[in-house]
Amino acid sequence: MSIQSLNGQGKRRLLAAILILIVIPLTILAGVFYFDDRKYYFISMLIIVYTMLPFAMVFEQRGPRARELILIAVLAALAVAGRSAFYMLPQFKPVVAIVIIAGVCLGAEAGFLVGALAGFVSNFFFGQGPWTPWQMFCFGIIGFIAGLLFQKGKLSKTRLSLCLFGGLATFFIYGGIINLGSLFMFTAEFSWGALLATYISGFWFDMIHALSTVIFLFLIARPMIEKIERVKIKYGLIEPGDEK
Amino acid sequence: MRDSFAGLHPALTFSYFVCMIACSMLVMHPIAQAIALVGAFSYSVLVKGAKALKFSFIYLLPMLLIMAVMNPAFNHQGVTILFYLKSGNPVTLESILYGVAAAVMFITMILWFSCYNAVMTSDKFIYLFGKVIPALSLVLSMVLRFVPRYIEQIKAISHAQRCIGRDMTQGNLWSRAKNGINILSMMTTWALENGMETADSMKSRGYGLPGRTTFSIFRFDGRDGILLGIMGLLAAIMGAGIMSGTVSMRFFPSIKLAPVTVWSMAVYAAYALLCMLPVIINLQEAWKWKRIESKM
Amino acid sequence: MEAYRVENVSFSYPLQERKALVGLDLAIRSGEFVTLCGQSGSGKSTLLRQFKTILTPHGKRDGMIYFQGEPLSSLEQRRQASEIGFVQQNPDNQLVTDKVWHELAFGLESLGCDQRTIRLRVAEMASFFGIQSWFHKRVAELSGGQKQLLNLAGVMAMQPSVLILDEPTSQLDPIAAQEFLDTLRRINRDLGTTIILSEHRLEEVLPLTERLIVMDQGRIIADAPPAQAGAALAEMNHPMFAAMPSAMQIARVVHPESGVVYPLTINEGRNWINKWMKDKAPAQLSDQSAVDASPVRSVVELRDVWFRYDKLAPDTIKDLSLTVKEGEWYCIVGGNGTGKTTALSLIGGTQLPYRGKVLVNGKDIQKQGLKERFHRNLGILPQNPQHLFLKKTVELDLLEMLADSELGKEERQHKVEDVILLAELESVRHMHPYDLSGGEQQRAALAKILLMEPRILLLDEPTKGLDAFFKVKLARLLSNLTRQGVTIVMVSHDIEFCARHADSCALFFDGSVVTTNRTRAFFAGNSFYTTAANRMARHFCPEAITTEDVARLCQSSH
Repeated sequence: MSIQSLNGQGKRRLLAAILILIVIPLTILAGVFYFDDRKYYFISMLIIVYTMLPFAMVFEQRGPRARELILIAVLAALAVAGRSAFYMLPQFKPVVAIVIIAGVCLGAEAGFLVGALAGFVSNFFFGQGPWTPWQMFCFGIIGFIAGLLFQKGKLSKTRLSLCLFGGLATFFIYGGIINLGSLFMFTAEFSWGALLATYISGFWFDMIHALSTVIFLFLIARPMIEKIERVKIKYGLIEPGDEK
Repeated sequence: MRDSFAGLHPALTFSYFVCMIACSMLVMHPIAQAIALVGAFSYSVLVKGAKALKFSFIYLLPMLLIMAVMNPAFNHQGVTILFYLKSGNPVTLESILYGVAAAVMFITMILWFSCYNAVMTSDKFIYLFGKVIPALSLVLSMVLRFVPRYIEQIKAISHAQRCIGRDMTQGNLWSRAKNGINILSMMTTWALENGMETADSMKSRGYGLPGRTTFSIFRFDGRDGILLGIMGLLAAIMGAGIMSGTVSMRFFPSIKLAPVTVWSMAVYAAYALLCMLPVIINLQEAWKWKRIESKM
Repeated sequence: MEAYRVENVSFSYPLQERKALVGLDLAIRSGEFVTLCGQSGSGKSTLLRQFKTILTPHGKRDGMIYFQGEPLSSLEQRRQASEIGFVQQNPDNQLVTDKVWHELAFGLESLGCDQRTIRLRVAEMASFFGIQSWFHKRVAELSGGQKQLLNLAGVMAMQPSVLILDEPTSQLDPIAAQEFLDTLRRINRDLGTTIILSEHRLEEVLPLTERLIVMDQGRIIADAPPAQAGAALAEMNHPMFAAMPSAMQIARVVHPESGVVYPLTINEGRNWINKWMKDKAPAQLSDQSAVDASPVRSVVELRDVWFRYDKLAPDTIKDLSLTVKEGEWYCIVGGNGTGKTTALSLIGGTQLPYRGKVLVNGKDIQKQGLKERFHRNLGILPQNPQHLFLKKTVELDLLEMLADSELGKEERQHKVEDVILLAELESVRHMHPYDLSGGEQQRAALAKILLMEPRILLLDEPTKGLDAFFKVKLARLLSNLTRQGVTIVMVSHDIEFCARHADSCALFFDGSVVTTNRTRAFFAGNSFYTTAANRMARHFCPEAITTEDVARLCQSSH
């Protein structure tokens, strides 16, 4: 791994620490104090936004190169264009699959950015709404985890492991967080019963979404990874010491 | 029609929408909710015309009803019990009213967002954040350029594929899916290879040199300043109102509204002005044009 | 003052034996208009990319390059970015942002100019290039020509002293290309910017050029004003002479001795022919392409076809009728946006007319199932060959095409071998399709289509962006096919190519065919829409349409 990204991780940790120890508790306090009934939604949304900040700041500070920007932009745009290409099948979206591939091929940070950007930009075309930060976060974090697991050797580029991860991540991470978000949006008091009901009502949606991710990964992961690797070699995108 | 509110400086429009969406998310008092709903609805009709009306009645109204009914099914708090469900859980007046209030809030928010989508075009967003997050906003600008281009390409590729008998509209389900994936795969190669030329073009034009600046075609003029002042003042009054609990409302266990006082009237007046600001600006502009035309 | 000096520069790509550039020496004066030409793979692009370090490909370089007297390698990146402008081939790929105004400002932003400077320069550029009317548009709404002009303007906004262009017009139609080249001339003349341009369209470019540099296999083989450089090529008997303007080629055939000053433009060519033909009676050309009297089956027939893309849109195709005979090579020429490509997609059945009939092999195309339509029947080559490539090598890609067929493994391999031979892809069969040059990609895509054994080929601008050699190869391949009875319907802007190879031509205008005839009669009947050679000699013999015809005319007149 290059020194640059090590530095990036250090900074991200520091920022994350500040956020977790100071800003988030302050937000919760303020929320409990002032926002009465809306506290759950408002606090949760602010926390979601906070968690994305360190990524943005680290990325800005290290001044990414042109080809890095292009790769991230290309993959995010592919995810969005792919989503609209399959628009006639609801929930049948290649976004998560592409985000996971981005995380595996380009690293955790790029995975997060591709995911968050894809979530953000697709809403330029389908309409921004209160769901935007939630989607950005979910896609982003899946890309981040994929990258991290790959780096630690827990995830390999084989079909089986990618599909397994993709299905689980879509169902539990994406479905889990999005449903929680919509629960907060609609109700005042948090209750386990309501949460369970939300999960049950969203079960088939999440199931189809997870299944579509598995199908996409099964069919497209190998050619796509090959293609990204080829471009990385052809255009000298691999930094010395990046290979592992 | 031409929306004069959209002609204001992006910083103004953006902070306006942030402010309005935050307010509508936080305030559940019926009077404030009614004000926000009227403001958001009338502006969305102004911006999007008949389409907004259709959207409101076909999607939003049914949503309101469903949400109002759904809430009491899960939420059994409140003291005014109306009847019992088969499961033995009570249905309360408070929870029904809460469902209605939450639905109105949600709808107001959606309406504000639909105005936001029409007014805050991507170049305004990129301009606003170009200075704070230059690299990300550049990526954003690229993605926004790539997406329509890729959709075009996907069409062109699938057209080419149809001519060799392989397309998403041909064959059985499995071969269709396979062809669809093939198209996506071809698209990936095309996008990556052509993207590298874009990177060359960026480097060739000096991208990556230290000290990059951000150009914009927007200018903050005197009128923007005055309006920002007015907006700030109104928002501050509303903020103070929220903080002091003047516009708050309690649903559970029993409904309790904050009492109507002179101060609360002032807060509502400020909020009403704020919500109607885009409409007022548009009306004023229209009136000005009428006068100019009558003089010509 | 010197803009560039190249001293003994060699370059080789990693893992490649052959050097891409071999010991080049070159000096370019400031304010010069230099054109670089040569076959694909002769090292033009490689040389151009040496002129700006950030674009130089990976590889090993020897020798020195000086920019305005300083070694380029030690020249600050900031100065290189602003002083050396670079425009590439593909108009679309060079645009970075989604708005025209942002694109104009992009380079200046990188240089760190302040708001006022950028505003001024952007305004100046928009006025110089006539961009005001589309200044606020999204780049996606622009035409190809406009996009390339925008790329040029975006580079010029940084006020470079040298402008380097790598085949900038190859993706444009003739009118947009001419407009682009005119703008280049204005930049060179009015602003004194040095221009180094690599091009295939020598007919249009040479009149603007002060100095022509010809490259071959990484070496400079000629470096002189265009007329002299052409003469030098003629003397060497070099194949690159085939790419020179028609006037020069005619003069060469007629006057093979050395030491002749060759004409360059059409006007010069006409004067030259006038002088030659003075006091001579123009000979009659015997028409070799006499119409075959035997009745031939018509395979494509359009009867009173009307079409529009949308219920409310204006008609794209109006009352179109045409007939193509079996084994015929049929070209549709005409301006942009006249409906040529639409006509092709109507024949292919991908668009549906709202009135009229499209018959292919005597049967309504819409009534033919997909299998019937595309197997041993129609083959359609898309305008962009990249839309067909799926696998990582050409060979695998071709094999993939047969994946659904019932043939055995050996038969498949056998068929692929045949088509590789036919399309002259032997040397590139193991390469990635995207690593091929434009002409090779074109042939690889065509090979893919040929595996479906089409009897009728529909081609949309197959010569776009190809150099003279690849055009010859393509023509050879296509005429081989017509000899086997394959019918070719082709849409093209390339009049010279059509005149040389087609059996029949049709002029498209306003959604319909205005005139159609055997190729020779077709061009003899047009006075404006015709080849360069015909324009030079038509007052002597309207039937002389190719350079060979005119040369023959000159030689046989006494």
